[in-house]
Amino acid sequence: MKKVIEVSNLTKEYKSVRAVNDISFDVYEGEIVGLLGPNGSGKSTTINSILSLLSFSKGSIKIFGEEMSPNLYEVKRNIGVVFQDVAVFDELSVLENIDYFCGLYIKDKSVRKEYVEDAINLVGLLDFKKFYPKQLSGGLLRRLNIACGIAHKPKLIFLDEPTVAVDPQSRNNILDGILKLRSEGATIIYTTHYMEEVEILCDRIIIMDKGSIIASGTSDELKELANIEEKVSVHISELSDEVIEKIKSLKNVEEVNYNGDVLVVIYKKGEDNLVKLMDFLSKNKIRYDKIFSERPTLNDVFLELTGKELRD
Amino acid sequence: MIVFKSFLRVLNKNKAPVILFTVMLVIFGVINFTSNDSTDVFTSSRPDVLIVNKDVNEGITKTFIDYISKRAEIIKLSDNESIDDALFYRNVNYVIYIPLGFRDDIINGNKPSLEVKSTGDYQASLAQMMVNKFLRVVNVYSGDFNDEWQLINYVNSTFSNETNVEITSKLDVDSLSRMATYFNFMNYTMLAGLVFVISIVMTSFKNVNISKRTTMGSMSYRRVNMYLLLSNLVFALVFWLVCMILSFVLLGDILFSLHGVMYIVNSFIFTIVSLTIALLIGNLISNKNAVNGIVNLIALGSSFLCGAFVPVEFMPKSVVNLSRVFPSYYYINSNELIKSMEVVNFESLLPVFKNIIFMLAFVVLFVILINVVSWKKRRFA
Ligand SMILES: Nc1ncnc2c1ncn2[C@@H]1O[C@H](COP(=O)(O)OP(=O)(O)O)[C@@H](O)[C@H]1O
Ligand SMILES: [Mg+2]
Repeated sequence: MKKVIEVSNLTKEYKSVRAVNDISFDVYEGEIVGLLGPNGSGKSTTINSILSLLSFSKGSIKIFGEEMSPNLYEVKRNIGVVFQDVAVFDELSVLENIDYFCGLYIKDKSVRKEYVEDAINLVGLLDFKKFYPKQLSGGLLRRLNIACGIAHKPKLIFLDEPTVAVDPQSRNNILDGILKLRSEGATIIYTTHYMEEVEILCDRIIIMDKGSIIASGTSDELKELANIEEKVSVHISELSDEVIEKIKSLKNVEEVNYNGDVLVVIYKKGEDNLVKLMDFLSKNKIRYDKIFSERPTLNDVFLELTGKELRD
Repeated sequence: MIVFKSFLRVLNKNKAPVILFTVMLVIFGVINFTSNDSTDVFTSSRPDVLIVNKDVNEGITKTFIDYISKRAEIIKLSDNESIDDALFYRNVNYVIYIPLGFRDDIINGNKPSLEVKSTGDYQASLAQMMVNKFLRVVNVYSGDFNDEWQLINYVNSTFSNETNVEITSKLDVDSLSRMATYFNFMNYTMLAGLVFVISIVMTSFKNVNISKRTTMGSMSYRRVNMYLLLSNLVFALVFWLVCMILSFVLLGDILFSLHGVMYIVNSFIFTIVSLTIALLIGNLISNKNAVNGIVNLIALGSSFLCGAFVPVEFMPKSVVNLSRVFPSYYYINSNELIKSMEVVNFESLLPVFKNIIFMLAFVVLFVILINVVSWKKRRFA
């Protein structure tokens, strides 16, 4: 597969902070790559460095095989960026905003008109064409922000936390839109601190913390790293220490936590763990409300690797 | 084109202040036009002048005093009236301080110095013209006479030829002064209208996040800036043209004169200065409310300090000195110079040219600052 982005040994320091620390990764054509990490882990800095919006201390960036620099306008023609902060003109309507930003790439008026229409449809703002940004809700504003970044039909798209503080409806619309862009052939870099999103969306995930890449791979590959096979949660209102000790000694059980309300049993491996636990509970005449089993999440992976939660 | 189009769209959203200030200019012009029209012709042709003579009262100095006395009402102050009060209540239009050594300077061919105070109205301009004319005539003969007596003869004969001729007709002085008032007020209109609007529009385009996006476009950043600059220039010219058309409407064909042309040229230069001020503010400040405050401060502050509303003659010296840091000072000063100019020629225009050079220096300074600021902002950390 063709490499679209090659990042080698990128290091970026702000005055006193090392925001990105010697990271390397490649992005291949047609992929959706997720950059996952808590706030301040260096995702935006990575993206802005790749785009030559920031000068960086060390490393090299290639996009479409060319060393990236601020003056590579031919390369920029094929890049679309949706920044973390909404960047639109308050004085321009939805349509006019998209038209302006698309116009920075596309000169031909009739082509542009078509592209702007497409972008509006993609983000579902057809009914709000004439609206001004001040009149849009947070979610719609984010959608406008995205439309402005991708209207010129770029081959490579960067989206920096496009769903921060967005209502569920807009979030679904945005995620659908991104999948649609990929189906039309775009390569996408997506940053977020929501692990659910990267799981749904991304072919490959790069987990960052404190400026470094701590793991990368597909969702399944990463979950192997969590060192957990299964997590069973049981809602139980009363449980004696004695019973807890007994559960701990059951087969395959790695860890048991009880907070007076929910019992969480973590298994490293094995099959039918859930059934066996239910058997144990009924034999011991312990009443419970709900019981369910989960595969490990990326949060567990993050926890395993850094000792802290991904969620803030 | 898309840049220009979007510039116009953003501008269109900010049209209120443009309209407001244009209307203000019209109203001001109309009031100024009608109130000056009622001035009495007779009293106005002879200004009230106060002469404070520290020099001897003989020789060429006496000739000078006689010359003024023939053409103006010489005013004596009542016992406890101060000169400033007299000026303020318009008991006096013009005060001439003749310093010790005035006579000697002329005889020795040196440039004599006079200090004056004026109410800035057109009678004062009339007095100013008389003084200028006398000094000019003296200057023409300087070095060309054997003794003082001969010089006095020369001077007297020059002036006796025109004793019956009005120095400048009432209409001229009146119109000149009216034009000056209009163009002085334009200082405020330019700063509060043009500068405000351009700064506001520029803050939109120069917003950090929008700049980031613009930088990522496949149109070079420099090109985008070029288009923006051109758009602003076009807007500034249109704004200036509107002010000029208004001035023709309000002042009539008196603008088709050398004086009128000089007012127009001067205001054009000031428009360029205003444009660079606006671009600097737009590049420097990203908060629209802050722009509002700063522009108001600059527009009102410099208009007051530099004498757009009240003649600088009423200001303390320290304030006048301070006001030299504003480009407005040079613009307004030129308007005043043109007002009291009896003839327009290269020599009389020299101080006006000097002011223009000062204004252009401000343009250069602001352009450098704009480049520094936008260069610093180009990369985002
Ligand atoms: N302009 C800046 N100046 C100084 N430090 C910055 C700047 N921008 C970001 N940082 C710091 O760099 C680190 C990474 O920030 P960022 O890339 O924005 O993280 P993320 O996008 O993952 O939330 C943080 O510690 C942040 O405080
Ligand atoms: Mg970020």
